[in-house]
Amino acid sequence: MQISDFLRGSPDGVDVSGPKLIASFELFGITINLTETVVLSWAIVLGVFLLLNWLTSDMKTKNISKKQVVAEWAVQTIYNLVEDSMGKHWRKFAPYIGALFTFSILGSLISMLGLRSVTADFNVPLTWALITFVMIHSTNIRTHGFGGYLKGYAEPVPVMLPMNILSEVATPVSMSLRHFGNIVSGMIITSLLYFALSVITKKIGIALFTIGIPAVLSLYFDLFSGFMQAFIFIMLTMVYISNADANAEA
Amino acid sequence: MDFLTIDVGTILFTLINTGLIFLAFKLILFKRVDAILEQRQQEVADTYQSAEDAMANANSEKEKYAQAIANAKEEASGILSRAEKQAQKQSESLLEKARAEAQAVREKASRETEREKMLARQALQGEISGLAVELAQKMIEKEIKPEDHERLIDDFLKELGDET
Repeated sequence: MQISDFLRGSPDGVDVSGPKLIASFELFGITINLTETVVLSWAIVLGVFLLLNWLTSDMKTKNISKKQVVAEWAVQTIYNLVEDSMGKHWRKFAPYIGALFTFSILGSLISMLGLRSVTADFNVPLTWALITFVMIHSTNIRTHGFGGYLKGYAEPVPVMLPMNILSEVATPVSMSLRHFGNIVSGMIITSLLYFALSVITKKIGIALFTIGIPAVLSLYFDLFSGFMQAFIFIMLTMVYISNADANAEA
Repeated sequence: MDFLTIDVGTILFTLINTGLIFLAFKLILFKRVDAILEQRQQEVADTYQSAEDAMANANSEKEKYAQAIANAKEEASGILSRAEKQAQKQSESLLEKARAEAQAVREKASRETEREKMLARQALQGEISGLAVELAQKMIEKEIKPEDHERLIDDFLKELGDET
């Protein structure tokens, strides 16, 4: 057995492929694929709706319940994070940051239920990076004016024009690939590890290594990595957008 | 699906899903929590306001009471000084009366003493005169002769007998 066999998906069970295609239909001449990613995203959306609705139901101003403490803490934390990194006038941006963070972390952590991480599909971080991209440029145009925005590409010297354009394009590419790469590499390493451990188990006859080791590694590759990537993604989004903001406080 | 593809459908759905989660955050979590935070802030402000009102009220009441107490004290001291004065006056008049009475008693006593003295003097004079008479009689007796003496006794007996 060779390493390349793992990646191809050997009959023994290592499966490192793209998301499964569940359904496909034509819409205005474009093939729309309903993949595993999309269906799991729906589950996440539904879960988020139910969770937020439950957290914020039956709120009071006094003698608050534990779930209300959680809800208020979450809101305050997101507000603080956004205000600290973008300034007070970006306060209205907080719900998007919260949504992005939650979607990203749940999309990564869904792998702990044995499902395929939503963020291990390149299209998902790519979509978020494109949203960020649009926001960066719209903020830039809104605050500098269109002329000022165009002039920004020729700064500090006009020779820098190609570099500047390249750097603007590189932003969403690097953001999406960083997120995708981290999650997918964690997924591959975990799959390889499970396969290797199962091979060892088959050889020695007792499931000695399949207990404990996967849990510890999963803690890093799924929990820590998922959290880190979600955090990095929202921090970068906030930093890029507030950098494009001419009225930035900081 | 391939391991790394760019799929328009997935991007579209992810866009919609992200939008839905954003809406969930905005319209459920943030809206409700903001509302409750604002409500709480309002309540806190109201509480502070009412506390301040109560404080101001209490202060004015306190002032009023302090005024009333000051008035009462003044009144009490007035009453006290009046009473004192009255008492002083009364005691003075009493003393005066007592003094006058004592004077009267003294005078009466001295008058009495005077009279007693006089009476005593009179009595003494009487006694002295009696003694002098007796002395004179005794002197006389020595010079009287027995026959005269006998006659005198007889006269006395006669007188006694006439009277009985």
